[in-house]
Amino acid sequence: MLNYTVNRRSIPIVNDGIKKPGDDKGKKYLKRIIISGLFSILFLYIIIYTLPKTILSTSSLLEHSVTAALIIFLVVLLFRYFSTLFFAYLYLNKYTFKHAVNYHPFISIIIPVFNEEKMIKNSISSLLGLNYENYEIIIVNDGSTDKTKDETEKFVGLHKGKFNEIKISLINKPHGGKSTALNAGIRYSQAEIVVCMDGDSMLSPNSLKYAVRHFVDPRIGAVAGNVKVFNRGKFLTDLQALEYLEGLNLVRNAQSFFKLVNIIPGPIGIFRREVILNAGFYSNDTFAEDADLTLKILSKKWKVCYEPNSISYTEAPEKLQQLLRQRYRWTRGILQSIKKQKKILLNPLISFGNTIILWTMFYEALIWPIMNITANLFFITVALAFGYTSLIFFWWAALAFLDLVIAIYCIAAEKEEFRIVAYALIYRIFFILIIDVCKTFSTIEEFLGFKMTWKKLDRIGTAKI
Amino acid sequence: MELIPILSTIVLVATISTFLLAIGAYILFKIREKKGIHIYPKQPSCVEAELVAPIGEKEEIKPVKAEENAEPKSTEPINEKEKQKSADLRFQEYKKEGIVKKEPAEEKKGDDISDGKESSKFLKYTSEGYVPPKEDKDSGAMRWR
Repeated sequence: MLNYTVNRRSIPIVNDGIKKPGDDKGKKYLKRIIISGLFSILFLYIIIYTLPKTILSTSSLLEHSVTAALIIFLVVLLFRYFSTLFFAYLYLNKYTFKHAVNYHPFISIIIPVFNEEKMIKNSISSLLGLNYENYEIIIVNDGSTDKTKDETEKFVGLHKGKFNEIKISLINKPHGGKSTALNAGIRYSQAEIVVCMDGDSMLSPNSLKYAVRHFVDPRIGAVAGNVKVFNRGKFLTDLQALEYLEGLNLVRNAQSFFKLVNIIPGPIGIFRREVILNAGFYSNDTFAEDADLTLKILSKKWKVCYEPNSISYTEAPEKLQQLLRQRYRWTRGILQSIKKQKKILLNPLISFGNTIILWTMFYEALIWPIMNITANLFFITVALAFGYTSLIFFWWAALAFLDLVIAIYCIAAEKEEFRIVAYALIYRIFFILIIDVCKTFSTIEEFLGFKMTWKKLDRIGTAKI
Repeated sequence: MELIPILSTIVLVATISTFLLAIGAYILFKIREKKGIHIYPKQPSCVEAELVAPIGEKEEIKPVKAEENAEPKSTEPINEKEKQKSADLRFQEYKKEGIVKKEPAEEKKGDDISDGKESSKFLKYTSEGYVPPKEDKDSGAMRWR
């Protein structure tokens, strides 16, 4: 450690968006339930009334509608798969031939921490070993109740980085949520570029070096990094490692071809500081502040791209309950964020690209899980009631084959562990089904305006680069 | 016995079990969440925080307000080629959206005018840059009729 004196003083912090979602909405949602219920009854009445006037019988109506639904489902699924694969391939190809430039702006890395005593040491150690010469670290302690404050204070000062001294500062503030902590750090920073990450995440040595070169293009407002699961080796975490590869990173690659990445992940997001100021900082009126900020940035017509080499390692939930909690928050948070951009969702003339992105998110959060569950329920019913057991097998085989192909592609593209490929066989029938059930219930709860609180995941603290 | 019926049965049982597991786990999750529910007290618009930092340089948190109507512009690229490319792109973008972007020279000239002489709403473009129309008339330069 180098020689320095630590200064300790109190500062005022502006609290942003203090309203939490889900408040005072009871009557509004009751009205919504009554209206949608009445519409459903009307719709059913029309079907029952008009059916005898057509050539269809009740059984043939069911048969035809189920067949049509399945065909639509398959077409959508194949279109989604191949378009994602195609654009991801194009982006990766374009990316491969792009040369790095000599551009090293000053960067502030902001780490919001809340009860991260187990993880903070590893996080900071990973940040001191970055292959970048011009950066500082700002830790924002969001009113931790454990020993996080003492642990982080040990690091305050000037530390030896890979190329020069790295300044580490600490802001201790009362508990207000991750968004307020990040905002405090962003306000304190005077850098051109800010990196927002989680207190339990660790960055790979080249993450800043690769991400920063995108900002040479003045239209780029932010860069999404590549999140990888660190605590592998367990059934659920391995499945999530595969999901991050083929479900999240592949999609981000495809979106990055159009420079319209819709979610900058919490564990690694690189922003122009002025872009965050323009977009109005992180707000805490949604439960997915990262998705919300990204959509706000896109709505200001900035471009957002993805950098596969900016890797952030994060601890994934190891227990099913923790996973459901995380996905519940993601689903409701994304729906809340989409709702905030209603104008762009409904009017493609404002920004066609953003409208498409919002509809894709809406589809992924709302329609896709219901379609998947319905298809599975249909095959179960057909097997149990009519004895067509082989249909569910062929359905699984077709989807497993697609997942296997994509898993191999993603693992080859990202030079990942090959053993994860095997999980593709049960990925859709087990993992995605559980997630989709959770997403559907979360969507219903969001629609009905159930109250929701943010609960932090319990960390094990085993991750170390 | 054939392989497909066996595999089909396995897949069927697995799907049904997963469904039951998912619904059961979700119900359990909701029960556990309800037990630990707590609502944060509403916070004031400004809170006191403690800054611990090595001495020197900046120490203040600037009270920055969100700039609602800003738009992509910003940093200049490094090398000349990139600079030209991005300038072209920016031009296209502004042209597309019909936004008039002031050139630095224009802004500078405008400032000079407001400092010294009477400020004018209209400026004339000449080889010297933007000048007030009256000033240009006096210069004696040839004009189109």
